[in-house]
Amino acid sequence: MENNLILFGSMTAMMRARDLLRKNGIRSATVRTPAAYRRGSCGYSLRVSRDIDRAVGMLKQQRIPVSGVAAVDAL
Amino acid sequence: MIYFDNGATTYPKPPAVVRAVCSAVTRLGANPGRSGHRMSLRAAETLFSCRQEVAALFGLQEPERVVFTQNCTAALNTVIHGVLKQGDHVVISSLEHNAVVRPLEAMKRRGVDYSVAEVVEGDDEQTIRHFREKFRANTRLVICTHASNVFGIRLPVERIAALCHLNGILFCLDAAQSAGVVPIDLRNSGMDFLCTAGHKGLYGPMGTGVLIINSATTPDSLIQGGTGSFSAEKAQPEVLPDKYESGTPNVAGIAGLREGVRFVRQRGAAGIEQYEMQLARRLYNRLSRIERVLLYTQPPSLGTHVPVVSFNIEGMDSEEVARLLDERFGIAVRAGLHCAPLAHQTMGTNTLGTVRAVVSVFNNAAQVDQLTGAVNKIVKLNEKKVAIDSGSVLK
Repeated sequence: MENNLILFGSMTAMMRARDLLRKNGIRSATVRTPAAYRRGSCGYSLRVSRDIDRAVGMLKQQRIPVSGVAAVDAL
Repeated sequence: MIYFDNGATTYPKPPAVVRAVCSAVTRLGANPGRSGHRMSLRAAETLFSCRQEVAALFGLQEPERVVFTQNCTAALNTVIHGVLKQGDHVVISSLEHNAVVRPLEAMKRRGVDYSVAEVVEGDDEQTIRHFREKFRANTRLVICTHASNVFGIRLPVERIAALCHLNGILFCLDAAQSAGVVPIDLRNSGMDFLCTAGHKGLYGPMGTGVLIINSATTPDSLIQGGTGSFSAEKAQPEVLPDKYESGTPNVAGIAGLREGVRFVRQRGAAGIEQYEMQLARRLYNRLSRIERVLLYTQPPSLGTHVPVVSFNIEGMDSEEVARLLDERFGIAVRAGLHCAPLAHQTMGTNTLGTVRAVVSVFNNAAQVDQLTGAVNKIVKLNEKKVAIDSGSVLK
């Protein structure tokens, strides 16, 4: 299954995003950001398997800063 | 010991605070967020949940606006040194602490000037007029204590903040004596920055403080270094709160602060204010009935004061009164200038200083009565001593 990573510049933004997604029924997991995406990151990302577009839209709406989104095969 | 030195730091702390600090030292011994292992992540979660608690206490949605500092002084210094540039002018109140005055004195060497607006107890209109009169074309920032740490007098900070915004001036609130003691809602407050201690009315451990950035204007960072984020970049991250939190944070302290803030939120700042003000009024009223006790403010009232009472005994040094209270009666207060000579100058007590008693939720009416009983005895002891010294008892 394809994994989508949402990248963040700060741990605080990542945790706030995780809580928001959880509250809205979108499951995510906190993972270490792979080396290829680590530049500009706090070192942690949210792995989201489903509803990635809805998840990112939600974060934008709540003005939670996202550094980027990456599709990765396996983690 | 009966502790009335809560203006310096509250004591005791709620048991949950003590447990959280111990637990953090023994179970969260990892650098938060830096290392990738589970304990590191758990430590980071602790910081995050404390940010959430603090944000909620002040009515904010965004925990990233909560910056942890060493104390209130460090938060104030971040605003003062991070916002002001050569040629800027600042207005402060006449009740400010040295945490505001000394950094501004230092900034004079960098071409920043400041003016002092006189606070008139019981007359908000005059106080506001005094602020307005001090504004100049180059006034960049107003820094205002929410309540005097010496006299408990509250300032009309919401109105001063609104006045600042009308004039395009940033507003910084020093909430060292008010956070957790009176309700503060930063939503639509016009307050750009709030600085407070974590170890006073928020009941956290010493070594904790908070800066809240409630503005689009962000100060420059005072220190730069590792944040655990953007590690490949040489430049300090601009993202909040990382911009201001270089270096390993005080995880155990912040774990305790989280429980302290939860304690305050469970009780409600309004309920705390009501309880503490009742005790402060009782203290003031009883002191006012003792001959030779000098009081300097109007009776403390909800909305116009915080539960801080300053007094002196006529003919006695404030430090001597505090020493006797401690040594003979086991009561802790603070005497002297309380790091606020400007406030003492304003109230005419800069020579003697005052004896200051500040109540917390852990004080009660019986303790207040013990304090006033002890003051009464000290007055009598001093009268006897004066009589002996002057030889009048022999006549």
